[in-house]
Amino acid sequence: MTRNVAIVGGGQTSWGDRDASWKDLVQEGGKATFDAVPDIGPEDIEGLFVGAVQPERFAFQSHVAPMVAELLGIDVTEMIARTELACASGQAALRYAWLAIAAGQLDTALVLGVEKMNLGKAQMPEMQASMSNVLDREFDGVNGLSAPPFFAWYAQRHMHEHGTTREQLSQVAAKNKSNAAKTDFAQFQREIDPADVEESPEIAPPLHLYDCSGITDGASGVIVMSEEKAREVTDTPAWITGSGQSSMAGNSVNNLPSYDGWPQAREASQNAYEQAGIEDPLAEIDVAEVHDCFSISEIIEYEELGFVERGEGGQFIEDGRSHIDGDVAVNPRGGLLGCGHPLGATGVSQALEITQQFQGTVSSDRQVEDATTGLIHNLSGSASVHSVMTLGRDPQ
Amino acid sequence: MTDQPDPTDSTDPSGSSEADGSVPRGTVSIPAEIELPDLLDFYERQTAEHTQIHEFYENLDDGRLTTTRCRECGETHYPPRIVCPECTSDDLEYVDLPHEGELFAFSESRGGTPLGYHDTSPFVVAIVDLGEIKLSARIDDARYDDLEIGDPVSLKIVDIDDGTDRERVFYRFVPRGDAQ
Repeated sequence: MTRNVAIVGGGQTSWGDRDASWKDLVQEGGKATFDAVPDIGPEDIEGLFVGAVQPERFAFQSHVAPMVAELLGIDVTEMIARTELACASGQAALRYAWLAIAAGQLDTALVLGVEKMNLGKAQMPEMQASMSNVLDREFDGVNGLSAPPFFAWYAQRHMHEHGTTREQLSQVAAKNKSNAAKTDFAQFQREIDPADVEESPEIAPPLHLYDCSGITDGASGVIVMSEEKAREVTDTPAWITGSGQSSMAGNSVNNLPSYDGWPQAREASQNAYEQAGIEDPLAEIDVAEVHDCFSISEIIEYEELGFVERGEGGQFIEDGRSHIDGDVAVNPRGGLLGCGHPLGATGVSQALEITQQFQGTVSSDRQVEDATTGLIHNLSGSASVHSVMTLGRDPQ
Repeated sequence: MTDQPDPTDSTDPSGSSEADGSVPRGTVSIPAEIELPDLLDFYERQTAEHTQIHEFYENLDDGRLTTTRCRECGETHYPPRIVCPECTSDDLEYVDLPHEGELFAFSESRGGTPLGYHDTSPFVVAIVDLGEIKLSARIDDARYDDLEIGDPVSLKIVDIDDGTDRERVFYRFVPRGDAQ
């Protein structure tokens, strides 16, 4: 790789249970993105990368990348693709754009992530069935296994192996949902206390409703550019300094490498850190948007991303070290727990948050002071794949 | 299961405008319910014409939980394979798995439950440790609050009644009552 690549800006729809179709979300998200980067319009886009997980089931529509191009008036001249990597699809789209630009294939790309998930109460079981198919449908999904009980196993094992407490799970959920009250597009906009988490219904014990991310409609977009072009647009882009992914030949339950940790996240982050020259992630990373699909996920991620030793993630939140004013601000946007989780859009929105943190354009009450180094992390499916990207206010 | 009416189109085939100049209007009927297509239920098509791991399902139908082992490198797989992911050999044999194991992790699905299972909620779903392998499984005849990590469980085979004459099977586990 020879060229520096940067995110110059972006925008997003409001997220939630939206009175809007899949196509409406694409148009709103595209407009918000172009409105936020006034120097760039559809005519400037050479490459289009669309993160979308299940439009075939949720919107009964496939071959979606050219639909996005048409809806947003983009004549793609270099590269067009839709990425599907379950909950990491947005970051996967961003990674493709980064690689294409770094390799010199193109200079300007739109990365748009989108998901329409709220289809009506009567359709919720069908939507959940589609979600179960991100697992091995024949041997795991077939057991009625969905995300809440799957991540409940990890909570149970982490408590069993490391003494993590129910209270510590609640502290993660309360932090992130309360942070989302500072984020105007977020699905959940109410500050809560840890006690509120345990008073919410038990969805899959030991996990309660507030330990779970939402069912969310939304779209998020970013403009990604080569260094030469980016410097024409802004003085403060977010530079992509490293990107790693790891899976360990395990997707079905028997073949996962751990049931109380994610060594794939450790490997993916170490690869990204090496590229970015990060030696001490806790000291060097100021702001991290990590995949808190469930409260337990964030606790494990503190450990695997190298902020704290294995087994000490619960103590990390209990000591307040991941709050906005802590050692590393984790999920100041509100995370998936607070913002919601429109699958294909999540990774894009995380990257946009880091960009806006660098640019100082987020709401002042969630602004991380002097943020210069950031990270986004996604897991996908049975947490079988982990994707990590590092971002810097300065290029390497 | 309901009968499926064929979609019908009662639009005036002539397509001509009405005499008073209004746009003609008709009705297109589509079924409110359709039979669950078998590609959209969770159970695999289990016979030899559909899958090369049909022996796994035939053994299960005979009351045996089995999986594949590689004759080249000795690796035991789960789920069963037709090519060894360790050494790419396709010289595999079916071997018996234990019918008794321990709960390694478990939860109870009480909300956000998938179609086909939502009307059986709550139900316990667990990782069962069979020694050489771990697998996910429904735990029947049990509630979350009565279980602990390490509890013994044993195999149960279920016939899948999908309203057709097709015979399919799957496995679940139940707490082992004789383990006291």
